[in-house]
Amino acid sequence: MDILSHLTPMFFGLIAAGTLIGIIFGAIPGMTATMAVAVCLPLTYAFGLENGIALLLGLYVGGISGGMVPAVLINIPGTPSSITTTFDGYPMAKRGEGERALKIGIVASVFGGLFSAAVLFFFAPVLADFAIKFSYVEKFLIILLALTVIASLCSNMLMGIFSGVLGVWLSLIGTYSITEGGNGEPRLMFDFMQYYLVDGFSLLPVLIGLFGLTTVLLDAEKGFKDDAVQGKISLKGGAKFRFNVFKGQLLNLVRSSGIGTLIGILPGVGGSAASVLAYSQEKNFSRDSSQMGKGAPQGIVSSESSNNALTGGALVPLLSLGIPGDSTTAILIGAFTLQGIQVGPLFIGNNLDTWYLMMIALVAANVLMFGIMYFAIRHIAKVIEVPKFILYPLIIMMCVVGAYAINYGIMFDVWTLLIFGVFGWVAHKVGLETVPLIIGFILGKSAEVYFVKSIESYGNLTIFFTKSPIAAFLWVLIAVSVAFAIYLRVRNRRRPEEIES
Amino acid sequence: MKPIWGKTCLALVVSAAMGVGVSAQAADDCPLPGNLRVVIGSTSTGGDTYQVSSMVVDQLADKLDINAKVDAVGVMPGFQALQRSRHGNTIMIFHDGAYLGNLYGVNGYPNIFDQYVVGPTIAINPGNAYLVPKGSPYESMSDVIEAAGNGKQIRVAIQPGSVSEIGFSALKNAVRLKYPGKESNIVAVNTGSQADKNQLLFDGAVDMINGSVQANEQYTQLPADDQKAMRFVWLTAREDTIQQTNESGMGDTTREQLLGYTTPNVSVPMDDSQDFTFDKEFFFLYNKDMDPAAIDCIDNALSDIYDQGEIQEQLKKAFFVPDFKPSKEASSYLKEKNDQNQTIINDLEG
Repeated sequence: MDILSHLTPMFFGLIAAGTLIGIIFGAIPGMTATMAVAVCLPLTYAFGLENGIALLLGLYVGGISGGMVPAVLINIPGTPSSITTTFDGYPMAKRGEGERALKIGIVASVFGGLFSAAVLFFFAPVLADFAIKFSYVEKFLIILLALTVIASLCSNMLMGIFSGVLGVWLSLIGTYSITEGGNGEPRLMFDFMQYYLVDGFSLLPVLIGLFGLTTVLLDAEKGFKDDAVQGKISLKGGAKFRFNVFKGQLLNLVRSSGIGTLIGILPGVGGSAASVLAYSQEKNFSRDSSQMGKGAPQGIVSSESSNNALTGGALVPLLSLGIPGDSTTAILIGAFTLQGIQVGPLFIGNNLDTWYLMMIALVAANVLMFGIMYFAIRHIAKVIEVPKFILYPLIIMMCVVGAYAINYGIMFDVWTLLIFGVFGWVAHKVGLETVPLIIGFILGKSAEVYFVKSIESYGNLTIFFTKSPIAAFLWVLIAVSVAFAIYLRVRNRRRPEEIES
Repeated sequence: MKPIWGKTCLALVVSAAMGVGVSAQAADDCPLPGNLRVVIGSTSTGGDTYQVSSMVVDQLADKLDINAKVDAVGVMPGFQALQRSRHGNTIMIFHDGAYLGNLYGVNGYPNIFDQYVVGPTIAINPGNAYLVPKGSPYESMSDVIEAAGNGKQIRVAIQPGSVSEIGFSALKNAVRLKYPGKESNIVAVNTGSQADKNQLLFDGAVDMINGSVQANEQYTQLPADDQKAMRFVWLTAREDTIQQTNESGMGDTTREQLLGYTTPNVSVPMDDSQDFTFDKEFFFLYNKDMDPAAIDCIDNALSDIYDQGEIQEQLKKAFFVPDFKPSKEASSYLKEKNDQNQTIINDLEG
């Protein structure tokens, strides 16, 4: 096969179409990159492997990137991995810097995407060998490290930890599925709930319920009468985007992209952990993180570069081991199997042309994503100027459609969305912290599986400390992360006192 | 602008109505809905269930001139969707795990022979395999059985309650037959995906894993000093089944080589007279109230499809073995298979 013969207008057209459709999927709350790839998977029959892969990679990159749009503009993460983008993106949008925040996110995304593509191209087999050093024990410690972000992100330490634990508890409702090596027995629910909660609460409906619906309910409570004159968010008035915002961000970009790539390489850890980890590391290790969570560009940089870096990272185990790195690449593997292509440790060597075409498609998808989003964002950002009494019903409608569609038409997912929307509103009233709660929810189930499997595989608790040098290193990171969070809290508490004195 | 929009909307409505009419009309000679949803008992679109289902369902949709879509919803949502669909709008495709889950007492798994109608079988995945690290001291299943009989603990990574476990149960049963009381030396390490099972082997946390020819063959081609290198020791499929695969086999492993890992070249005794074999078969499941005429219609359509022969090539190319049995034959065959496996499981439980 001649590579050049495959680089047709059709090939690039499909990448562009995939990227655009992916961005739209990512931008609609409840629709994800995974869903976009799943919907278009059967098309690979019609297009053939190379063109099919071009389309799917476009969808993948576009879907991950598009998630930042609702995260910044309406405080709803379009995909679970854009959750940390809301922390600084939305406050910036509220200051009239929505377009700026999105452009920062786009540049960070393309950096992360190309960084991971380069890593994939040059180091895939080596990294695959590194990835298999991570057993259940190391994966559990990575999740634990990601959970330590709760200590950095909460405004009240005690309530934050309580909310995080509550999130973990909510994630454990359902069964410990036999497909994850569990016993399939239901727990933490009454018998009548078993029919609906056998697989627990779905992540996406919970996420958009807690973020999207809760925001709508809280604003509805305040009323929209003054919206037209005062409370309305404007696109004008805030600082404009300049590339010099990235001055001093190189370390953040590289570290966050590195974290995203690494998490992508580790099968099963999940994309949300990547952005949460990158965000927490920036918060802990940057020279000045005092504005993070209040609208700091560095927060968006860390979040978006890491979640886009996941794309190349997740392809490493897929193409070097035949093991998908995340939920989207798990569907992507279907494109190969449907064409009768064996994916495993010999894939790259046996299919060099396909491998090069995939790399070209991945780079092209990132560049096209940048082109499409950077120049279209000025118009997309105008959504924020739509009056809330028009915008919010549309958001609710999209959330409901997304929740219904996420698991191929499960009505209980819509109820989940509504239940958690109301729960989020109540949580706000009683002082529970939503962000630690959702982080606990996202990571709780993986933490359980890896913890239980570590014990089952190795027999005792000491294995968490003695398994490998990687495990020891992760413990150091966990300790440093917690210590930094406590240090920052103490320092921030002292500062006002010093100013007063 | 308004009249143009009005006309456009009208045209859309009319064409939509025509589309509905056409699809309903196409199904007139067969009481199936124009839009058929096929749920599968797996959430993976990269796995064998989705692969087989999409191949067969595409051909079925063409044959019946209907729209059919495969949804990878997973086991419980699949059974629930099937339970709700009394009019045949949703049907299910799954494999032997559908009844094995019930035999192993997994929560929520129904007795499919009582609660649903078992439809036609469509294909076999002959690749259900057991592998050891390339440097393992166990050269064959006999070595494994001997080692367990001599008091050595053998840890096997499986996914509980399904096809993955039945081979494990058979191995345990074989140890019990030869060395009564020693079967507890065969220890299950319950895990989930193939990636998890592989990882346990890489870590040295288990001695053997359940895998498949499709997913693990390339690992068997790696040099022995590679941490990821593996070796097949057992394929549970019948010799006759493997004989039906393409001569080239899978990847760099020929059919001839694969036959070396099946009975009679590998012996895992089921009782005094025969070895255990297991073909992982895919079949349809219907709601109990599904119109028998619709079931016949699918049977007939599939029969025609398999007679034409194109599906055979497609399935074989992807290392599946075509295996069409019409509903009635499939139902009694699978019930018999269910009872046979129940005996093994019951014997082990004592």
